[in-house]
Amino acid sequence: MSTAFRAVQWNRAKLVYDGILLAGVALYIGAYLAVVYWIDPPKDLPAAIDLCIRAFGTCAFIMLTIILSIGPLARLDRRFLPLLYNRRHFGVLTFLIALVHASFMIEWYAVQNALPSLYDELTKVSDYGKFIGFPFKALGIVTLLILFLMAATSHDYWLVFLRPSVWKRLHMALYAAYGLVVMHVALGVMQNDRNPFIPAMLASGFAIVTLLHVVAGWRERAGDRAGVRGSEGWLAVGPPLSIPDKGARIVTAPDGERIAIFRDGTQIGALSNLCAHQNGPIGEGRIIDGCVTCPWHGYQYRLADGCAPPPFTEKLVTYRVRIAHGVVEVDPRPLVPGTAAAMRYE
Amino acid sequence: MTRSQRSVHRALWPVLALAVALGFGMALALRPPPDVAAPQAAEELNP
Repeated sequence: MSTAFRAVQWNRAKLVYDGILLAGVALYIGAYLAVVYWIDPPKDLPAAIDLCIRAFGTCAFIMLTIILSIGPLARLDRRFLPLLYNRRHFGVLTFLIALVHASFMIEWYAVQNALPSLYDELTKVSDYGKFIGFPFKALGIVTLLILFLMAATSHDYWLVFLRPSVWKRLHMALYAAYGLVVMHVALGVMQNDRNPFIPAMLASGFAIVTLLHVVAGWRERAGDRAGVRGSEGWLAVGPPLSIPDKGARIVTAPDGERIAIFRDGTQIGALSNLCAHQNGPIGEGRIIDGCVTCPWHGYQYRLADGCAPPPFTEKLVTYRVRIAHGVVEVDPRPLVPGTAAAMRYE
Repeated sequence: MTRSQRSVHRALWPVLALAVALGFGMALALRPPPDVAAPQAAEELNP
Protein backbone atom coordinates (compact mmCIF):
# COMPACT_ATOMS: atom_id res chain seq x y z
CA MET A 1 0.00 0.00 0.00
CA SER A 2 1.28 3.44 -0.78
CA THR A 3 0.12 7.03 -0.75
CA ALA A 4 2.87 8.24 -3.09
CA PHE A 5 4.78 6.96 -6.10
CA ARG A 6 7.75 4.75 -5.44
CA ALA A 7 9.64 2.77 -8.10
CA VAL A 8 9.56 -0.42 -6.02
CA GLN A 9 8.21 -0.68 -2.49
CA TRP A 10 10.91 -2.98 -1.22
CA ASN A 11 10.33 -4.98 1.91
CA ARG A 12 11.93 -8.07 3.39
CA ALA A 13 9.46 -10.46 1.75
CA LYS A 14 10.14 -9.00 -1.70
CA LEU A 15 13.90 -9.11 -1.19
CA VAL A 16 13.73 -12.76 -0.11
CA TYR A 17 11.41 -13.58 -3.03
CA ASP A 18 13.68 -11.89 -5.57
CA GLY A 19 16.79 -13.41 -4.00
CA ILE A 20 15.38 -16.92 -4.34
CA LEU A 21 14.19 -16.14 -7.86
CA LEU A 22 17.59 -14.88 -9.03
CA ALA A 23 19.40 -17.77 -7.34
CA GLY A 24 17.04 -20.27 -9.00
CA VAL A 25 17.58 -18.74 -12.44
CA ALA A 26 21.35 -18.58 -12.02
CA LEU A 27 21.40 -22.16 -10.76
CA TYR A 28 19.32 -23.45 -13.68
CA ILE A 29 21.30 -21.64 -16.38
CA GLY A 30 24.62 -22.51 -14.75
CA ALA A 31 23.67 -26.17 -14.38
CA TYR A 32 22.33 -26.36 -17.95
CA LEU A 33 25.50 -24.86 -19.43
CA ALA A 34 27.78 -27.00 -17.26
CA VAL A 35 26.00 -30.30 -17.95
CA VAL A 36 25.69 -29.79 -21.73
CA TYR A 37 29.26 -28.48 -21.94
CA TRP A 38 30.44 -31.56 -20.07
CA ILE A 39 28.45 -34.01 -22.26
CA ASP A 40 29.04 -32.37 -25.62
CA PRO A 41 31.42 -29.39 -25.58
CA PRO A 42 30.64 -26.84 -28.31
CA LYS A 43 33.05 -27.08 -31.20
CA ASP A 44 33.01 -23.44 -32.26
CA LEU A 45 31.62 -20.03 -31.31
CA PRO A 46 28.20 -20.46 -33.02
CA ALA A 47 27.77 -23.78 -31.18
CA ALA A 48 28.63 -22.09 -27.87
CA ILE A 49 26.09 -19.33 -28.59
CA ASP A 50 23.51 -21.97 -29.55
CA LEU A 51 24.03 -23.53 -26.14
CA CYS A 52 23.26 -20.17 -24.49
CA ILE A 53 20.18 -19.74 -26.69
CA ARG A 54 18.84 -23.07 -25.44
CA ALA A 55 19.77 -22.44 -21.79
CA PHE A 56 17.97 -19.09 -21.65
CA GLY A 57 15.10 -20.28 -23.87
CA THR A 58 14.27 -23.31 -21.73
CA CYS A 59 14.66 -21.16 -18.61
CA ALA A 60 12.12 -18.63 -19.94
CA PHE A 61 9.70 -21.44 -20.85
CA ILE A 62 9.94 -23.02 -17.39
CA MET A 63 9.49 -19.60 -15.75
CA LEU A 64 6.39 -18.89 -17.85
CA THR A 65 5.00 -22.30 -16.92
CA ILE A 66 5.56 -21.58 -13.22
CA ILE A 67 4.04 -18.09 -13.46
CA LEU A 68 0.88 -19.46 -15.07
CA SER A 69 0.69 -22.24 -12.50
CA ILE A 70 0.94 -19.92 -9.47
CA GLY A 71 -2.59 -18.51 -9.86
CA PRO A 72 -4.48 -21.84 -9.85
CA LEU A 73 -2.08 -23.34 -7.28
CA ALA A 74 -2.80 -20.48 -4.87
CA ARG A 75 -6.53 -21.00 -5.35
CA LEU A 76 -6.25 -24.73 -4.75
CA ASP A 77 -3.92 -24.53 -1.75
CA ARG A 78 -3.19 -21.48 0.42
CA ARG A 79 0.38 -22.67 0.97
CA PHE A 80 1.20 -21.40 -2.53
CA LEU A 81 0.02 -17.85 -1.75
CA PRO A 82 3.55 -16.60 -0.97
CA LEU A 83 4.49 -17.39 -4.59
CA LEU A 84 1.79 -15.00 -5.75
CA TYR A 85 2.98 -12.13 -3.58
CA ASN A 86 5.71 -10.90 -5.92
CA ARG A 87 4.68 -12.58 -9.17
CA ARG A 88 5.18 -9.35 -11.08
CA HIS A 89 8.93 -9.42 -10.44
CA PHE A 90 8.87 -13.03 -11.62
CA GLY A 91 7.23 -11.83 -14.85
CA VAL A 92 9.71 -9.00 -15.39
CA LEU A 93 12.63 -11.37 -14.88
CA THR A 94 11.05 -13.80 -17.37
CA PHE A 95 10.92 -11.02 -19.94
CA LEU A 96 14.61 -10.24 -19.32
CA ILE A 97 15.59 -13.92 -19.69
CA ALA A 98 13.58 -14.13 -22.94
CA LEU A 99 15.30 -10.93 -24.12
CA VAL A 100 18.73 -12.48 -23.48
CA HIS A 101 17.59 -15.59 -25.38
CA ALA A 102 16.64 -13.37 -28.37
CA SER A 103 19.90 -11.41 -28.11
CA PHE A 104 21.94 -14.61 -28.31
CA MET A 105 19.92 -15.64 -31.35
CA ILE A 106 20.84 -12.38 -33.12
CA GLU A 107 24.43 -12.84 -31.98
CA TRP A 108 24.43 -16.34 -33.52
CA TYR A 109 23.66 -14.86 -36.93
CA ALA A 110 25.97 -11.91 -36.41
CA VAL A 111 29.11 -13.95 -35.68
CA GLN A 112 28.55 -15.77 -38.97
CA ASN A 113 27.88 -12.54 -40.89
CA ALA A 114 24.44 -13.99 -41.66
CA LEU A 115 22.09 -11.32 -40.37
CA PRO A 116 20.61 -10.84 -43.87
CA SER A 117 19.43 -14.48 -43.81
CA LEU A 118 17.58 -13.77 -40.54
CA TYR A 119 15.93 -10.82 -42.25
CA ASP A 120 15.04 -12.99 -45.26
CA GLU A 121 13.58 -15.66 -42.99
CA LEU A 122 11.32 -13.18 -41.24
CA THR A 123 10.21 -11.38 -44.40
CA LYS A 124 9.57 -14.34 -46.72
CA VAL A 125 5.81 -13.88 -46.93
CA SER A 126 5.11 -17.25 -48.62
CA ASP A 127 6.45 -19.13 -45.57
CA TYR A 128 3.73 -17.59 -43.41
CA GLY A 129 1.22 -19.74 -45.30
CA LYS A 130 2.97 -22.96 -44.32
CA PHE A 131 2.53 -24.92 -41.12
CA ILE A 132 5.81 -26.83 -41.07
CA GLY A 133 8.25 -24.19 -42.23
CA PHE A 134 6.35 -21.30 -40.61
CA PRO A 135 8.83 -18.57 -39.55
CA PHE A 136 8.79 -19.65 -35.93
CA LYS A 137 11.07 -16.79 -34.89
CA ALA A 138 8.19 -14.43 -35.66
CA LEU A 139 6.17 -16.23 -32.95
CA GLY A 140 9.06 -15.67 -30.55
CA ILE A 141 9.19 -11.96 -31.44
CA VAL A 142 5.45 -11.54 -30.85
CA THR A 143 5.82 -13.32 -27.51
CA LEU A 144 8.69 -11.03 -26.57
CA LEU A 145 6.57 -7.99 -27.43
CA ILE A 146 3.72 -9.27 -25.24
CA LEU A 147 6.14 -9.93 -22.37
CA PHE A 148 7.60 -6.44 -22.84
CA LEU A 149 4.14 -4.87 -22.74
CA MET A 150 3.34 -6.76 -19.57
CA ALA A 151 6.68 -6.00 -17.91
CA ALA A 152 6.36 -2.31 -18.85
CA THR A 153 2.86 -2.06 -17.36
CA SER A 154 3.54 -4.23 -14.33
CA HIS A 155 4.07 -1.27 -12.00
CA ASP A 156 1.31 -0.10 -9.67
CA TYR A 157 1.31 3.21 -11.53
CA TRP A 158 -0.18 1.45 -14.57
CA LEU A 159 -2.47 -0.60 -12.37
CA VAL A 160 -4.02 2.60 -11.02
CA PHE A 161 -3.90 4.39 -14.37
CA LEU A 162 -5.59 1.59 -16.30
CA ARG A 163 -7.83 0.48 -13.39
CA PRO A 164 -7.53 -3.06 -12.01
CA SER A 165 -10.19 -4.58 -14.29
CA VAL A 166 -8.55 -3.30 -17.52
CA TRP A 167 -5.05 -4.08 -16.22
CA LYS A 168 -6.13 -7.60 -15.37
CA ARG A 169 -7.55 -8.17 -18.84
CA LEU A 170 -4.40 -6.80 -20.44
CA HIS A 171 -2.29 -9.18 -18.40
CA MET A 172 -4.39 -12.13 -19.52
CA ALA A 173 -2.37 -11.78 -22.76
CA LEU A 174 0.15 -13.95 -20.93
CA TYR A 175 -1.98 -16.96 -21.88
CA ALA A 176 -1.60 -16.07 -25.55
CA ALA A 177 2.13 -15.57 -25.02
CA TYR A 178 2.41 -19.05 -23.53
CA GLY A 179 0.59 -20.59 -26.50
CA LEU A 180 2.90 -18.72 -28.89
CA VAL A 181 5.97 -19.95 -27.03
CA VAL A 182 4.80 -23.56 -27.25
CA MET A 183 4.35 -23.17 -31.01
CA HIS A 184 7.64 -21.23 -31.32
CA VAL A 185 9.47 -24.27 -29.95
CA ALA A 186 7.25 -26.88 -31.65
CA LEU A 187 7.73 -25.35 -35.11
CA GLY A 188 11.32 -24.39 -34.43
CA VAL A 189 13.88 -26.45 -32.60
CA MET A 190 11.55 -29.45 -32.25
CA GLN A 191 11.50 -29.88 -36.04
CA ASN A 192 15.27 -30.19 -36.41
CA ASP A 193 16.38 -31.64 -33.09
CA ARG A 194 15.17 -35.16 -32.28
CA ASN A 195 16.04 -34.84 -28.59
CA PRO A 196 12.94 -36.28 -26.86
CA PHE A 197 13.45 -33.82 -24.01
CA ILE A 198 12.04 -30.99 -26.17
CA PRO A 199 8.54 -32.39 -26.88
CA ALA A 200 8.48 -33.86 -23.37
CA MET A 201 9.21 -30.45 -21.82
CA LEU A 202 6.61 -28.72 -23.97
CA ALA A 203 3.89 -31.31 -23.44
CA SER A 204 4.42 -31.65 -19.70
CA GLY A 205 4.59 -27.87 -19.13
CA PHE A 206 1.47 -27.25 -21.16
CA ALA A 207 -0.37 -30.19 -19.55
CA ILE A 208 0.48 -28.98 -16.03
CA VAL A 209 -0.75 -25.45 -16.73
CA THR A 210 -3.94 -26.68 -18.43
CA LEU A 211 -4.74 -29.26 -15.77
CA LEU A 212 -4.26 -26.78 -12.92
CA HIS A 213 -6.52 -24.23 -14.60
CA VAL A 214 -9.20 -26.82 -15.33
CA VAL A 215 -9.21 -28.12 -11.74
CA ALA A 216 -9.15 -24.63 -10.20
CA GLY A 217 -11.87 -23.44 -12.61
CA TRP A 218 -14.01 -26.46 -11.78
CA ARG A 219 -13.77 -25.74 -8.08
CA GLU A 220 -14.53 -22.08 -8.70
CA ARG A 221 -17.76 -22.89 -10.51
CA ALA A 222 -19.38 -23.98 -7.28
CA GLY A 223 -18.74 -20.51 -5.86
CA ASP A 224 -20.60 -18.88 -8.74
CA ARG A 225 -23.98 -20.25 -7.73
CA ALA A 226 -26.09 -17.45 -6.27
CA GLY A 227 -26.53 -17.63 -2.49
CA VAL A 228 -29.75 -18.78 -0.82
CA ARG A 229 -32.29 -15.97 -0.83
CA GLY A 230 -33.77 -14.99 2.50
CA SER A 231 -36.58 -12.52 3.06
CA GLU A 232 -36.68 -9.25 1.05
CA GLY A 233 -34.01 -10.51 -1.32
CA TRP A 234 -31.33 -10.71 1.39
CA LEU A 235 -28.93 -13.64 1.13
CA ALA A 236 -28.61 -16.12 3.97
CA VAL A 237 -25.03 -16.69 5.12
CA GLY A 238 -25.49 -18.91 8.19
CA PRO A 239 -25.28 -18.65 11.97
CA PRO A 240 -22.69 -16.10 13.17
CA LEU A 241 -20.37 -18.81 14.44
CA SER A 242 -20.38 -20.52 11.04
CA ILE A 243 -18.20 -17.62 9.90
CA PRO A 244 -14.66 -18.32 11.09
CA ASP A 245 -13.37 -15.78 13.59
CA LYS A 246 -11.07 -13.29 11.79
CA GLY A 247 -12.02 -15.01 8.54
CA ALA A 248 -14.84 -14.87 6.04
CA ARG A 249 -17.51 -16.78 4.22
CA ILE A 250 -18.15 -15.88 0.61
CA VAL A 251 -21.61 -15.74 -0.96
CA THR A 252 -22.52 -14.89 -4.53
CA ALA A 253 -24.98 -12.12 -5.31
CA PRO A 254 -27.66 -12.67 -7.97
CA ASP A 255 -25.60 -10.54 -10.41
CA GLY A 256 -22.70 -13.02 -10.05
CA GLU A 257 -20.38 -10.80 -8.01
CA ARG A 258 -19.05 -12.25 -4.76
CA ILE A 259 -19.49 -10.83 -1.28
CA ALA A 260 -17.13 -11.61 1.61
CA ILE A 261 -18.78 -11.69 5.05
CA PHE A 262 -16.15 -11.36 7.77
CA ARG A 263 -16.44 -11.92 11.50
CA ASP A 264 -14.09 -10.28 13.96
CA GLY A 265 -15.21 -11.51 17.39
CA THR A 266 -18.73 -10.12 17.71
CA GLN A 267 -18.45 -7.75 14.74
CA ILE A 268 -19.79 -8.87 11.37
CA GLY A 269 -19.36 -6.94 8.14
CA ALA A 270 -19.70 -7.57 4.42
CA LEU A 271 -17.31 -6.29 1.79
CA SER A 272 -16.87 -6.78 -1.93
CA ASN A 273 -14.70 -9.83 -2.55
CA LEU A 274 -12.55 -7.71 -4.88
CA CYS A 275 -9.48 -6.03 -3.45
CA ALA A 276 -9.10 -2.47 -4.75
CA HIS A 277 -5.48 -3.20 -5.66
CA GLN A 278 -5.54 -6.11 -8.14
CA ASN A 279 -9.06 -7.48 -7.64
CA GLY A 280 -7.63 -10.20 -5.41
CA PRO A 281 -10.06 -12.48 -3.50
CA ILE A 282 -10.26 -10.50 -0.28
CA GLY A 283 -12.64 -13.05 1.28
CA GLU A 284 -9.81 -15.59 1.29
CA GLY A 285 -7.80 -13.24 3.49
CA ARG A 286 -7.77 -12.84 7.26
CA ILE A 287 -8.30 -10.05 9.76
CA ILE A 288 -4.83 -8.99 10.84
CA ASP A 289 -4.21 -6.12 13.28
CA GLY A 290 -7.93 -5.33 13.18
CA CYS A 291 -8.03 -4.96 9.38
CA VAL A 292 -9.24 -7.25 6.62
CA THR A 293 -6.07 -8.19 4.77
CA CYS A 294 -5.95 -9.28 1.14
CA PRO A 295 -4.16 -12.63 0.76
CA TRP A 296 -2.41 -11.53 -2.43
CA HIS A 297 -0.42 -8.43 -1.49
CA GLY A 298 -1.50 -7.54 2.04
CA TYR A 299 -3.70 -4.51 1.23
CA GLN A 300 -5.78 -3.73 4.32
CA TYR A 301 -9.28 -2.38 4.94
CA ARG A 302 -11.37 -1.68 8.03
CA LEU A 303 -14.23 -4.14 8.44
CA ALA A 304 -16.54 -1.39 9.69
CA ASP A 305 -16.57 0.70 6.50
CA GLY A 306 -14.26 -0.95 3.92
CA CYS A 307 -11.82 1.98 4.03
CA ALA A 308 -8.05 1.45 4.11
CA PRO A 309 -6.63 2.84 7.37
CA PRO A 310 -5.07 6.34 7.07
CA PRO A 311 -2.98 7.54 5.33
CA PHE A 312 -4.17 5.13 2.63
CA THR A 313 -7.17 6.02 0.52
CA GLU A 314 -8.47 2.76 -1.02
CA LYS A 315 -12.13 1.93 -0.36
CA LEU A 316 -14.19 -1.19 -0.90
CA VAL A 317 -17.86 -1.59 -1.67
CA THR A 318 -19.71 -2.61 1.50
CA TYR A 319 -23.03 -4.37 2.07
CA ARG A 320 -25.61 -4.20 4.82
CA VAL A 321 -25.80 -7.18 7.17
CA ARG A 322 -28.36 -8.28 9.75
CA ILE A 323 -29.24 -11.30 11.85
CA ALA A 324 -32.70 -12.80 11.33
CA HIS A 325 -33.79 -15.87 13.32
CA GLY A 326 -30.17 -16.54 14.30
CA VAL A 327 -28.94 -16.43 10.70
CA VAL A 328 -26.63 -13.76 9.29
CA GLU A 329 -28.08 -12.24 6.15
CA VAL A 330 -26.52 -9.84 3.68
CA ASP A 331 -28.26 -7.38 1.38
CA PRO A 332 -26.77 -8.01 -2.09
CA ARG A 333 -27.36 -4.39 -3.17
CA PRO A 334 -23.92 -2.72 -2.94
CA LEU A 335 -23.43 0.46 -0.93
CA VAL A 336 -21.17 3.32 -1.93
CA PRO A 337 -17.52 2.30 -1.30
CA GLY A 338 -16.49 3.26 2.23
CA THR A 339 -20.01 3.24 3.71
CA ALA A 340 -20.10 2.01 7.30
CA ALA A 341 -22.32 -1.09 7.38
CA ALA A 342 -20.85 -3.62 9.83
CA MET A 343 -22.85 -4.68 12.89
CA ARG A 344 -22.27 -6.20 16.32
CA TYR A 345 -24.23 -9.09 17.77
CA GLU A 346 -24.67 -10.29 21.33
CA MET B 1 -11.62 -11.53 -10.21
CA THR B 2 -14.87 -9.88 -11.21
CA ARG B 3 -17.66 -11.93 -12.73
CA SER B 4 -16.82 -10.65 -16.23
CA GLN B 5 -13.12 -11.44 -15.76
CA ARG B 6 -14.05 -14.97 -14.74
CA SER B 7 -16.27 -15.28 -17.82
CA VAL B 8 -13.49 -14.09 -20.16
CA HIS B 9 -11.05 -16.41 -18.43
CA ARG B 10 -13.33 -19.42 -18.80
CA ALA B 11 -14.13 -18.65 -22.42
CA LEU B 12 -10.51 -17.99 -23.37
CA TRP B 13 -8.87 -20.95 -21.70
CA PRO B 14 -10.51 -23.91 -23.43
CA VAL B 15 -10.16 -22.28 -26.88
CA LEU B 16 -6.50 -21.49 -26.35
CA ALA B 17 -5.74 -24.88 -24.81
CA LEU B 18 -7.40 -26.74 -27.69
CA ALA B 19 -5.67 -24.60 -30.32
CA VAL B 20 -2.24 -25.08 -28.77
CA ALA B 21 -2.79 -28.82 -28.19
CA LEU B 22 -3.84 -29.21 -31.82
CA GLY B 23 -0.90 -27.15 -33.08
CA PHE B 24 1.59 -29.01 -30.94
CA GLY B 25 0.15 -32.40 -31.96
CA MET B 26 0.35 -31.48 -35.65
CA ALA B 27 3.88 -30.13 -35.30
CA LEU B 28 4.91 -33.40 -33.65
CA ALA B 29 3.12 -35.63 -36.17
CA LEU B 30 4.34 -33.74 -39.23
CA ARG B 31 7.98 -33.64 -38.17
CA PRO B 32 10.25 -34.80 -40.97
CA PRO B 33 11.83 -38.18 -40.24
CA PRO B 34 15.33 -38.05 -38.72
CA ASP B 35 17.18 -38.98 -41.91
CA VAL B 36 15.41 -36.16 -43.78
CA ALA B 37 15.72 -33.69 -40.96
CA ALA B 38 19.50 -33.66 -41.01
CA PRO B 39 20.05 -32.39 -44.59
CA GLN B 40 17.15 -29.94 -44.20
CA ALA B 41 18.68 -28.50 -41.09
CA ALA B 42 22.00 -28.19 -42.84
CA GLU B 43 20.42 -26.28 -45.72
CA GLU B 44 18.71 -23.73 -43.53
CA LEU B 45 20.70 -21.50 -41.26
CA ASN B 46 19.15 -22.02 -37.88
CA PRO B 47 20.62 -22.13 -34.42
